[in-house]
Amino acid sequence: MELILPILISGTAIAIATGYLGSFALLRRMALVGDALSHVALPGIALGLMFHFNVLIGSLAFLILSVIIIWVVEHKTKLNVDTLVGVLFTLALAIGAVLSSGEELLDSLFGDIGKITNVDFWVILISSIVIVLALLILTRKLLLNMISKDIAFSLGMKPHIIELLFLLIFALTVAIGIKFIGALLMGALIIIPAATARNLAHNFKNYAVISVLMGVISVNFGIIIASFYNLDTGPVIVILASTFFFLSIFFQKR
Amino acid sequence: MPILEVKNVSVSFGGQMIINDVSFALEKGESLAIIGPNGSGKTTLLKAILNSIKYSGEIIKTGAKIGYVPQKIDIERNLPLTVKEFFSLFRAKKFDENYTDNSVLDLVGFGQEYANKKFSELSAGEFQRILIAAAVLSKPNLLLFDEPTASVDVAGQETVYELLHRLQTKENIALILISHDLSVVYRYASNVLCLNHSRVCYGAPREILTPEELKNLYGGDHNYYQH
Repeated sequence: MELILPILISGTAIAIATGYLGSFALLRRMALVGDALSHVALPGIALGLMFHFNVLIGSLAFLILSVIIIWVVEHKTKLNVDTLVGVLFTLALAIGAVLSSGEELLDSLFGDIGKITNVDFWVILISSIVIVLALLILTRKLLLNMISKDIAFSLGMKPHIIELLFLLIFALTVAIGIKFIGALLMGALIIIPAATARNLAHNFKNYAVISVLMGVISVNFGIIIASFYNLDTGPVIVILASTFFFLSIFFQKR
Repeated sequence: MPILEVKNVSVSFGGQMIINDVSFALEKGESLAIIGPNGSGKTTLLKAILNSIKYSGEIIKTGAKIGYVPQKIDIERNLPLTVKEFFSLFRAKKFDENYTDNSVLDLVGFGQEYANKKFSELSAGEFQRILIAAAVLSKPNLLLFDEPTASVDVAGQETVYELLHRLQTKENIALILISHDLSVVYRYASNVLCLNHSRVCYGAPREILTPEELKNLYGGDHNYYQH
């Protein structure tokens, strides 16, 4: 039980970051990007385990590399992004699976927050703060870019750079999320709280706040319930978050 | 010094020449109407001025602060955003350089209650007018209007025309207007640019809006219908 407080704190930090990022990602129709990106982290994790450097750093490095590749392909070439992403990401997953084995593989797929180290704890906390601050600063640009790229240009903004910054923030969020809940369920933390908030909120401020709240509640109650009944934390959190989502459908105002 | 100079601008896309060697200049306080058939490159020309697409040639802006009103089809509308929140995205950093929400709403003929309306619950015509309000909010001195009255009803059109008139006479704003409504062009434009991929004609409305020139631009027989 003594270990639960750092888990609750880091879980809350991650929930705030993913909930807030998710609110933007959902509107930009990037809901499934988190899911896809999490596959790419696996080789990084595997290499980290093999060569004994911090897996969080390993996965982050691969994630950043991938988003830069995607951004370059999308904006500088005429290649089809969907196809390339589909191939690259599943390839990454396969390589990661081949390089790691047994328990390590399970940890990276389902998260190993119970084994969180001191370093991990602070990396997660600081990363969450960075993510939230970056999104707060970029809110105006992100929203305008979403509404109309041409309007963004008219106001002197550079949509391509905004896009890249968003993808980098996304990569960082996925990195810390994987540590917590694993690559398979990571995407859920980004999609579900935002989807719930979408049903309930009528202006952007409420939407972002509710998304964060839904994430924080799901994570905290999920950790407590999972610990009480000796279940895996990740899946419990996702089931809880989904329950809130289905409830929100009934409470939707028309 | 003109606020905008377009020199030998061409845009091609996928091997097709959308705009071919177009040049013109716009002075402060002047208004230019761009007319031409569908697909003639009018919106593309605006995008080149906004620097949102690649072009060859030169576009020189001198002290221009731009406001842009796109056609409604280019906008993502399905967002949880109120009109008030939308306006806040357009505010220039120095607060007193902007109109207040209520004054821009008033400019386009809406009451204060519109500030709390959701983006997604506005009708097409209401949305178009909100886009106009947002574009003028930070008091730009060069306004680019792409079909400003395309989905607006008759009563709304009157408000938009009044706004255009006010902007021209009182605020000395330079205007570029894409319009299919030739009566608007006739009333509000100092100059008309006829565009059909290249510059087909250029001059005052009186000289340009004749059956001969219009036939040249649009093709086929044309008559005036006054309304």
